[in-house]
Amino acid sequence: MADERKLECACGAAPMDTDKMWVIMGPQHPFSHGLWTLKAQIDGEIVTDAEPIIGYLHRGWEKECENRTYPKIIPMADRLCYAASMTYTHLYCMTVEKALGIDVPEKAKYIRMVADEICRIQSHLMWLAAVGTDLGNLTVFLWAMREREFFMDLNLRLCGARMTTNFPRIGGVRNDTTELFDRDVLRCVERFEKAIWDVIALVDDSSIFLSRMKGTGYLTREQCVNLGITGPAMRGNGVDFDIRRDDPYDNYDKVDFEVPVLKDGDSYSRYMVRIEEMFQSCKIIKQAMRKVAALGKNAPYRLKVPSRVPAGRAFMRMEDPRGESLMYLVSDGTDKPYRLKVRSPIFVNVSASKPLVQGSRIADVPVIMAMIDMCLGETDR
Amino acid sequence: MFKDPMANPFYPYGGAYNLPYDVSYKLWEIIGGLIAWLINLVFPGNGVSEWLISPEPSNAFALIIFMLIIFIVVFVCTLLSLWMERKVLGRIMDRRGTMIGLKGFLQCVADGLKTFMKENTIPKKIDKMTYMWTLSLIIGASVLIACMIPLSPRWFVVDYGTGLLIIMAIFALAPFFILVSGWAQNNKYSLIGGMRAAELMISYEVPILILIATTCLLAGSFNIGDIVNAQFGSTWFIIPQIVGFITFIFCATAEAERVPFDIAEAEAELVEGWQTEYAGMKWGLIMLAEYFRGYVSCAMVVIMYLGGWLIPFAPAEINGWAPEIVFLLKAWFVFFIMIVLRGALARVRTDQIVNIGWKVFMPLSVINLAIVLLLKIGGIY
Amino acid sequence: MVKEYLDKYPRNPARTLWLMKPVAKVLKIFFKTIVHRPVTILYPYEKMWVPENFRGRPGLRFDRCVACGMCVRMCPTACIKLVEVPDDAGAPVKRPQVNLGRCAMCGYCAEYCPVDAMTVTPDFELAEYTRRDLIYGPRRLAYDGITEGMEIRIEETLMSDIARGEPERRVSPFMTDRPELLASKCISCKKCEKVCPVDAVKMVEHGVNEKGRPILYPEFDDVKCISCGNCIADCPKDALTLKEVL
Repeated sequence: MADERKLECACGAAPMDTDKMWVIMGPQHPFSHGLWTLKAQIDGEIVTDAEPIIGYLHRGWEKECENRTYPKIIPMADRLCYAASMTYTHLYCMTVEKALGIDVPEKAKYIRMVADEICRIQSHLMWLAAVGTDLGNLTVFLWAMREREFFMDLNLRLCGARMTTNFPRIGGVRNDTTELFDRDVLRCVERFEKAIWDVIALVDDSSIFLSRMKGTGYLTREQCVNLGITGPAMRGNGVDFDIRRDDPYDNYDKVDFEVPVLKDGDSYSRYMVRIEEMFQSCKIIKQAMRKVAALGKNAPYRLKVPSRVPAGRAFMRMEDPRGESLMYLVSDGTDKPYRLKVRSPIFVNVSASKPLVQGSRIADVPVIMAMIDMCLGETDR
Repeated sequence: MFKDPMANPFYPYGGAYNLPYDVSYKLWEIIGGLIAWLINLVFPGNGVSEWLISPEPSNAFALIIFMLIIFIVVFVCTLLSLWMERKVLGRIMDRRGTMIGLKGFLQCVADGLKTFMKENTIPKKIDKMTYMWTLSLIIGASVLIACMIPLSPRWFVVDYGTGLLIIMAIFALAPFFILVSGWAQNNKYSLIGGMRAAELMISYEVPILILIATTCLLAGSFNIGDIVNAQFGSTWFIIPQIVGFITFIFCATAEAERVPFDIAEAEAELVEGWQTEYAGMKWGLIMLAEYFRGYVSCAMVVIMYLGGWLIPFAPAEINGWAPEIVFLLKAWFVFFIMIVLRGALARVRTDQIVNIGWKVFMPLSVINLAIVLLLKIGGIY
Repeated sequence: MVKEYLDKYPRNPARTLWLMKPVAKVLKIFFKTIVHRPVTILYPYEKMWVPENFRGRPGLRFDRCVACGMCVRMCPTACIKLVEVPDDAGAPVKRPQVNLGRCAMCGYCAEYCPVDAMTVTPDFELAEYTRRDLIYGPRRLAYDGITEGMEIRIEETLMSDIARGEPERRVSPFMTDRPELLASKCISCKKCEKVCPVDAVKMVEHGVNEKGRPILYPEFDDVKCISCGNCIADCPKDALTLKEVL
């Protein structure tokens, strides 16, 4: 509060304290990918204090859900995070299925996993593009976006939409995999595993990128756990936890993948964790697609579910591309939810911005905050 | 009157032949003669038409046209380099670049017209006089040095004995104005941007001066023509000074405030750096001035290391055909290197640029000086 | 595990110290795109390939529509409205009108249409000068060349079928779910008969009440019924429920 008063003084004609300066990296600032503000107190070039302000994109999502029947929430869940639309829809469907107490068919589980991992790659590529622009290189942005385009096309072949897919359904998925999707998914993934090395060569083999990322945004393991950071930002700090492996949902326990964990705890290790996660996602997609093919064309993929959910509570959590997201459903027995609560990983992660940027230079703020991978749709809901 | 402009007793260049002056003198002979003839038709035997074609006023009017020609040529060269940057950067990023008119060249014109039509907003709480004066000084200094670069022995404005030093002196003026302008704008981003411009200058200015001194030591003169001719006599200076060439390319990039070193207008953290509060055509002119500076940097590299307007191993008559074109082609080649650097690299941090300047560029330039001294003492040059 | 992971990215000091690799990579792409064309497409002149089931604006087959209002009920953005328009013979009928300014292109209207009158179309260039122009009437919603792939159907598996060991059977909720009457609540108002879009409800007499008036209970034609739920929604005494087959 004292600092805010000081800021007011600096704007007016009152006696000024010119030691430190608040720089407001506001809602319309090239650094904030979305509508949020980071107030940074700087002393010369060094950031001494920071405070995130969010809520510009608040749409009353949770309240809005209380007025909708269960299937109508699925397109809304797409809009929680546009970069990885299927993950939140998947989470919502899993929560309702848990409340209903039904078990979805095997094929639907594998198709959902494929869709999830496609979205994870898509989201990580979007993050990579953002890192490129934050560090002043547009080439990384456009190359990463080019790779992302192939996965958008996969979405298009899978369900006919590119970004807001509206694909998972309560009790399964919208449609079976199409022939075009079966044909293209493995080709696309194999191509991606080679093509991503172009972008890695641009970022990882460039001493400028390395020197910008190494040693910035440092957090210790204890700090990370106490602040509740989840996702790749946490695994870059040496916390070995991934819900896909440690509390598996769907059929993640039946595929073989690794959880990348690095112990350095700086921006570079978070970068490496995300890059490696993309490779692991490719691995998961390949295995899951093989399982889908083994199940055959006639295997059920969508269950008929009752339109009313029995009264009760259910929650489900999953590994979002950005961290651990959770949905909590309270049902009163009608065809509309009584309450639907979303736990967004970014909402928690962004609260760590003060310890993250404190002591670094103002030029490092964009790259440090880029490692959190802001997505305002789910943060403000 | 005089068949040869050099026969005019008021010819400003003494014994040296100047092509643009020749062109403008002949142009004035046509235009002025036409006007004089028309006036003579209406008022036969008046003094004005005789005065118009007498030696002194012909010379004065020819000088005005001469200025226009010099500026237009430099302007078109700069627009061409801007167009080249857009196209090459587009191809690097796997996209097409500008596409409108003449393979995208007219996009520059369209952008200029657009910035003309923008509203000319000036913030209220600024130091208005400093705000406008620094702007005009930045642009004016940039245009002045761009016009002062000689394109060939016959295409120059002033043939100074210390040409390189004077160009360098005016070139180094702009960061001071940027500092003052950043202060005058009463904006936090501009202030930090201006400070960074000064920080940037102290890191590259000393190595660049040592490199210029080395080249002049090798050529034995500060005169641009002498430096170029010295390279024709032996070999291009890039061969003895390869270390200096690489260092100078980076220093020239910093001098022109292009991507690896554009920390003064780092758009990720400072919105547009010191240009934040300049709107409309003011901003358009700043962007144009930046490309003028890029052009000057390239021209200096060409003069100092790539043999200026001379083709190696070519007889004198081939070199006499179109030395201006040769010079511009070489300058654009250097600009191409700068564009590739922009496409491949990210922005460095403020402390890193000081580190690089004093711990890498400075020793390299001193090593370069030592090599040249050894060569000079050894009698090879 | 961590060590294995790090081995994937060889740390050669010569590679990270210099800027050569990114510059070489960038030059490689530059020369590649000079020879081949870049991957971008010139949008207004070239267009992306879209599959048959691409979710653009909704399309409507006027003749097939029965005005059941399922799309109105399922639309998550409430952009569909039933309006009265003359049909080919001139008689007034109700047909959906879509406000594309609010449409989210989710495809629910096509998915939940019991008679496959609503479809998705690959038409995505929808710019107009005013918001009023974005409201597509029933006739304007028509789309030439609707193929079978544009009709989105719900193909679900019943849990009871899986338990019985017949996982291949696919059903649609419009085939299985039927309204069910709680006779004690019915007041014989005939509202269900009036609102039924396919004339599947017939009021059948079941004796007379104490005042001497006939007691009419609705009876549902299982073949004609499309389980749109209009009768359930309009029943004043909540005497009808949808019996879901699971």
